[in-house]
Amino acid sequence: MNMASFPKVSIDFASSHLVFPMLVSVLLGLLLVAILVTRWRTIWGAFTTGPYWPAGIDHRRFFGTIVLTVLYFLAMPQIGDFFPNEGYGFLIASIPFLFLISLLYLHQRTRRQIVIAAINAVLAPTVVWYLLSTAFSLTLP
Amino acid sequence: MDFLPQITPLFLTLILCGTVIGIIFGAIPGMTATMAVAVCLPLTYSLGLENGLALLLSLYVGGISGGLVPAILLNIPGTPASIATTFDGYPMTQRGEGESALKIGIYASLFGGLFSLAVLYLFAPALADFAIQFSYVEKFLIIFLALTVMAALSSSMLIGIFSGVLGILVSLIGAYDVSDGGNGEYRLMFDFMEPYLSSGFSLLPVLIGVFGLSSILIEAAAGVPESTSAAKVALGQGKKFRLSIFRGEWINLFRSASIGTFVGLLPGVGGSAASIMSYSQAKTFSKNPKTFGRGNPAGVIASEASNNGLTGGALIPLLSLGIPGDATTAILIGAFTLQGLQVGPLFIGGNPEIWKSMIVAMLIANVCMFAVMYFAIRHIARIVMVPKYILLPVILMMCVVGAYTTNYGIMFDVWTLLIFGLFGYLAHLIRLEIAPFIIGFILGPSAEIYFVKSLESFGTFTIFFTKSWIAMVLWILIAISIGLSIWMSTSAARHRDET
Repeated sequence: MNMASFPKVSIDFASSHLVFPMLVSVLLGLLLVAILVTRWRTIWGAFTTGPYWPAGIDHRRFFGTIVLTVLYFLAMPQIGDFFPNEGYGFLIASIPFLFLISLLYLHQRTRRQIVIAAINAVLAPTVVWYLLSTAFSLTLP
Repeated sequence: MDFLPQITPLFLTLILCGTVIGIIFGAIPGMTATMAVAVCLPLTYSLGLENGLALLLSLYVGGISGGLVPAILLNIPGTPASIATTFDGYPMTQRGEGESALKIGIYASLFGGLFSLAVLYLFAPALADFAIQFSYVEKFLIIFLALTVMAALSSSMLIGIFSGVLGILVSLIGAYDVSDGGNGEYRLMFDFMEPYLSSGFSLLPVLIGVFGLSSILIEAAAGVPESTSAAKVALGQGKKFRLSIFRGEWINLFRSASIGTFVGLLPGVGGSAASIMSYSQAKTFSKNPKTFGRGNPAGVIASEASNNGLTGGALIPLLSLGIPGDATTAILIGAFTLQGLQVGPLFIGGNPEIWKSMIVAMLIANVCMFAVMYFAIRHIARIVMVPKYILLPVILMMCVVGAYTTNYGIMFDVWTLLIFGLFGYLAHLIRLEIAPFIIGFILGPSAEIYFVKSLESFGTFTIFFTKSWIAMVLWILIAISIGLSIWMSTSAARHRDET
């Protein structure tokens, strides 16, 4: 973009993909500076005194959710490769994932609640798998 | 009557199911109408656009309406749009008038929904006809106006603008699309990302991540609080509901529904703003303002008429300009995109059958919502007791299905879901504004095309000011929105200093 004779401007087609991103990046940078200038006390206070990690977070459930989700995402395509285009990767990976995450979210693990979680872990993915892959003909991992 | 063939048993069944599922999502604190629409989106792939939209619109209507149940019974707004319902709804429950409060809310919701639907039906085609005259310049300015209005009404204008611009930047990742007149070159990414991000991040995984997965992470971080026990959910045996409660409340109903519809028109402004604005207006114009907050039915009426008024209002800019009025209608853009349709000024004129089927679907969804909630209120009230250890894992699984099926089976979309789920959680922590981010993300590619093509065609920046009288009016509106925001923030700061 040639801006030598502002406000006239000529855009070179070969570099036209950079015009708007560059403008938006500059604007974003200016806004960031404005935020830093107007809120520097709060930001500096947070940097110097903390807390660096929000208080009151249930670390076990929060990080447990992330770890189980990542494992679930990794397992789905791996299992699915054994049964191409059947959606079994989704079905087989979802059952233990749902059960484990239900256990993670339970506060009191009574036998009744564990049985309900187990039934839900089997039923919910099976119904979704059947509905989507059979009735709706959708692709599942 | 040419819309009658569209009303098939499947169409009606989908509306009924959508309304019920929406009410369930709305009634469970932490779940929202947006999440319901995002999670159920994959079901629409094989339904066709009319049936798919019927499902999504009924989820939207049900989701907004369901929020009144925990707001009235537990003092917890089921959705942000029900925030002001708690102010008088819960005190009524404490007096043993829970059932009466719920029924007042249901009637007000029906009125708000139908009012905004009428406005949508009358106003959207006229706005679309007018918007057909817009060139690239005016289209760019409309997006600019949408972003400034959205930012101006955020809790902090600076953060709101930053979030919107960040959304635009993220949307530009990938190739400058040749089909849009671009040169096909990549930007804002490394070479190794090209196989995954040549078309940028897909819209739906981003939306499902930001609204679905991030909500689950927020719940997990809060320790997944136990669901409410049956003992707490008491409808009470106090004063019975009578329609005569609405005597003298017609002005309140019309004013609140109008405010809700108007707020829905403004991009990115959530239902909570509509709810609180209507409530404060009802209080200001009431003969007994002191009774507000102590179980005055007028407060419930104001909040519920306005948040359901949002539903039709938010569809007006979507269908006439291609700009979503709120987060839920942003997801509806995904449904149109999946079916190969583009929403904008040409949509209503070019697709009259779909337009009419949407209106009919909204009408039936409102009636369904009323019937389901009114006659099954005691059962609906029990929805708030569904245990989260059952619900959240199922929702997470549906998020994965939604993301994976977006592009007919690309695993990268599932990872996109995780990336934006974590981003949504982080944004919640550092108080970035999600609605402006999403609207920026959706409108970013269009803004680029309109901006660059305007400059390529006219060769000067002044064209944005001199193209037409419409451009001048849009600049005046942009200036007003920024000025209003500055005035509101300074008066709020002054008020803080005084108290």
